Amino acid sequence: MILAKTAIKSLLGNGLKTWLNVFVLSISFVLIIFMQGLLEGWSKQAVTDAVAWEIAGGQYWSSKYDPYDPFSLDSSAAAIPPSLMKEYNAHQIEPVLIASGSIYPDGRMMPVLMKGIRPDQNLLTMPTQSLKGDSTEIPAIIGAHMASQAGLKENDLVTLRWRDANGTFEAVDIRIASVFKTTVPTTDNGMIWLPLENLQNMMSQPGKATMLIKDQQLTTVTVPGWKFKNQTELTKQTIALVRAKSIGMSIFYFIFLFLALIAIFDTQTLSIFRRQREIGTYVALGMTPRQVQNFFTLEGTMNALLAILLGFTYGLPFFIWFAANGITMPIDASSFGLPIADKMYPLFTPKLIIGTIIFIFIVTAIVSYLPARKISKMNPTEAIRGKVL
Amino acid sequence: MKTIVSVKDLVKKYPIGSSGYFTALNGINLEFTESEFAGLVGPSGSGKTTLLNIIGSLDVPSGGEVSVLSHSISTLTQKEAAQLRKEKLGFIFQNYNLLPVYTVFENVEFPLLLLNMSAEERKKRILETLEWVGLSDKINSRPSQLSGGECQRVAIARAMVKRPSLVLADEPTANLDSANSHNVLQTMVKLNRELKTSFIFATHDEKVIGYLHRIIRLEDGKVVSDKTI
Repeated sequence: MILAKTAIKSLLGNGLKTWLNVFVLSISFVLIIFMQGLLEGWSKQAVTDAVAWEIAGGQYWSSKYDPYDPFSLDSSAAAIPPSLMKEYNAHQIEPVLIASGSIYPDGRMMPVLMKGIRPDQNLLTMPTQSLKGDSTEIPAIIGAHMASQAGLKENDLVTLRWRDANGTFEAVDIRIASVFKTTVPTTDNGMIWLPLENLQNMMSQPGKATMLIKDQQLTTVTVPGWKFKNQTELTKQTIALVRAKSIGMSIFYFIFLFLALIAIFDTQTLSIFRRQREIGTYVALGMTPRQVQNFFTLEGTMNALLAILLGFTYGLPFFIWFAANGITMPIDASSFGLPIADKMYPLFTPKLIIGTIIFIFIVTAIVSYLPARKISKMNPTEAIRGKVL
Repeated sequence: MKTIVSVKDLVKKYPIGSSGYFTALNGINLEFTESEFAGLVGPSGSGKTTLLNIIGSLDVPSGGEVSVLSHSISTLTQKEAAQLRKEKLGFIFQNYNLLPVYTVFENVEFPLLLLNMSAEERKKRILETLEWVGLSDKINSRPSQLSGGECQRVAIARAMVKRPSLVLADEPTANLDSANSHNVLQTMVKLNRELKTSFIFATHDEKVIGYLHRIIRLEDGKVVSDKTI
């Protein structure tokens, strides 16, 4: 404690040089927390939205369903299992039938995935109520990105073509009943949502589904012929995508951190050169060279303490404001296939803050220790006279 | 009188180049007793600072035996040597070697912090010691705000505050004018007389020599005379 107090006093005695180092280090501290907070917030929002829009309490997949095999997709549906019929009737299980097709907006062909869902479902945020209706055309809902890609808008008619279970090509005009906005690209990009019954009839697969979406409250059971995918499995890719994008973000704060650490290393090296007499005096007063080395390491590490205090002073209001008000994205990032909302809310968890503090302390201690190692090799009699180097 | 420093056949050699040696001390035999006010006198390069550093456990002999307060310098570990300096020895340097970012009070406090003394006891000792050296009114000043003589008196206070058995002073007046030199030396004489602390100087300053009770002349690493006055 005494050495820590002495070290901080000595550090503050270096004046402007210390504060410059501390300022740069505090910027990297604030940036790390802010960027990681943004990432945490993005990750949480992406998972929450994915759960709300397409996962709910998990999904039972037909054992033949392989989302990466387009050739087997149309034949992967299976009959809704009788053991889940009660839950199906109670809307605790929502079947989704998936099939491939193509639409012809403005006469050009565009491959799509048709997804059939019950219009009165309430497990997902999807505005499927628009699929109800008594118009002669089959109603369909699409995401805003899909609408933009296809040049479609509400009430537009577009030709939909598909191959039914017997391999026969069919086509029908569908009406875009509504265009929804979502941050979940997998419910938007290349998707056309249709009433389940219509799609089952179109595909000649009545009573069949490719997947069954489960209510969050419903207990998971084993269903023969169906494999259950829980939320963790289904959001794994979303999280991986967010993490992959975060690597680019982290470059900025690592540059700042690197600059701060270089400055501290430089200051420590100069300090040891300039303060030889002081080092010799500490030894003469009764410290071992190792203790002096630790003292200088501690003094360098105190940069981190000051940086954290300074970082909190100007960073905390900044964090609180952004956590409450979010950051409006300058462009519609969801159009790039990224699960980003129009407004992102950073999430600053205690784990993130404490973890960053420990990280900053450790790297600063290492950078301070490296030049301080020279002290234990100094001859104290020469150090006292300032003649070591 | 009890012997506090015993030097027997002391040799100190420094390597020069790849195979040669420079002999700084060559067969020194000396003894210092309690309450001595002695000086190692001689020209530059005579070995007085080297001998002082070895007695202060800042350096080790190449040969012979040096015993300080019953501790053999040759066999002390770094930790034991630091302990000896921390508890029993005080140092005064030519350039004062005060810690520039600390106040007078904090500079004098530092050796007591290393001894883990309580805050209350520390304060009492520091104020008492600063009074001895006549710097009670400068406790909050920093070294940069003091004159050379005042800085050296702070250095004396720092050396004396832990009540060491032996104070080693290397050219303590070299950077001081005549008036300040006498002032500083009178302070040390007073402390030697009142506290019975032994002082060993390394000097070639005639003003210092005038105050010494024992003068040991060194030349080329050898004792050429040892006179008690």
